[in-house]
Amino acid sequence: MAMKILESSPRFARFEITDITTSEANALRRTLIGDIPKLAIDKVSIHHGQIRDKDGNVFGSSLALFDEMIAQRLAMVPLVTDLKMNFRDECTCEGKGCTLCTVTYSINKLGPGTVMSSDLQPLNNPSAVPSDLDIPIVKLRKDQALLVTADAMMGRGSLHSKWQVSSGVSYKVHREFTFQKSAFHRWTSLKEKYPNAVLTENKERITFTDDNGDGEITSMSGEKGVEVTEDQNRYVFKFETDGSLPAIEVLDYSLKRIPQRLNTLLDSLVTPD
Amino acid sequence: MIIPVRCFSCGKVIASDYRKFVAKIGESKTADGKVDQKIVEKTLDELGIKRYCCRRMILSQADLIDEIIPFS
Repeated sequence: MAMKILESSPRFARFEITDITTSEANALRRTLIGDIPKLAIDKVSIHHGQIRDKDGNVFGSSLALFDEMIAQRLAMVPLVTDLKMNFRDECTCEGKGCTLCTVTYSINKLGPGTVMSSDLQPLNNPSAVPSDLDIPIVKLRKDQALLVTADAMMGRGSLHSKWQVSSGVSYKVHREFTFQKSAFHRWTSLKEKYPNAVLTENKERITFTDDNGDGEITSMSGEKGVEVTEDQNRYVFKFETDGSLPAIEVLDYSLKRIPQRLNTLLDSLVTPD
Repeated sequence: MIIPVRCFSCGKVIASDYRKFVAKIGESKTADGKVDQKIVEKTLDELGIKRYCCRRMILSQADLIDEIIPFS
């Protein structure tokens, strides 16, 4: 088994693993989607009643969106996560909530204007800011205000999509497209467009791969003069993250997580008396 | 109402791209208020919204919150 990173940026990764089975590839895909810990807002307290600013102007707290919707939108905001944080039910505070397992946020915004995710102020952990600062939460009229405190805690994507780090997780087998130069004349333009996708070339034929995500090459299968070969032992994965964790860290965690979970299963087996 | 924070299907954050999309499309409107399909396609690609689940979130959005606000 070998792994090769084909493309890596803070929010995107493309990599190849050789000599694994489809079920192992799928286990990795499912882990990437639903088993990575991440911080998300889980409890929101919204102030009801009049809100006054320092000049004594009165603002109302009845808004265009229901409280539930505001809470849901706040929960969906991706927060920069430190994987060293504890899950609340495994924390030393025994589920009461402490700085090791909870980040508290506040929003204090007076209308008119739009409450954005950048208005979320972390109170006890300055690094846990939203990774996307341009998400609109709700719009406020000139006599409306939003006063909120919220608690964020760790969770996994299998429980709720607000804890889902990666999106667009997919894999496919490595494919090679061999073009007969005499029968398929468009190979020159493909070669110019995707020079990195060329694997081998000789006088009669040229071989491309679509591992880099070049959809135009993929769409050539079935055309005259094109022969497609699949390698069932090489899997090409790709995924993107929402910025709460760097893609490479997500990958690293998921590869450690799979044996961890399998060991949980092994440990839970008992020999009958 | 207001643009959902994440794509319903895949979970990508799309709310922050909606404003950029509307601003860019607004610039390329012709006199009769229409936008060339090719420009819409290119704008979405440039914003990194590649999958059709995320694209429909943006394209099918009816931003009605400004009409609701007077009644809240």
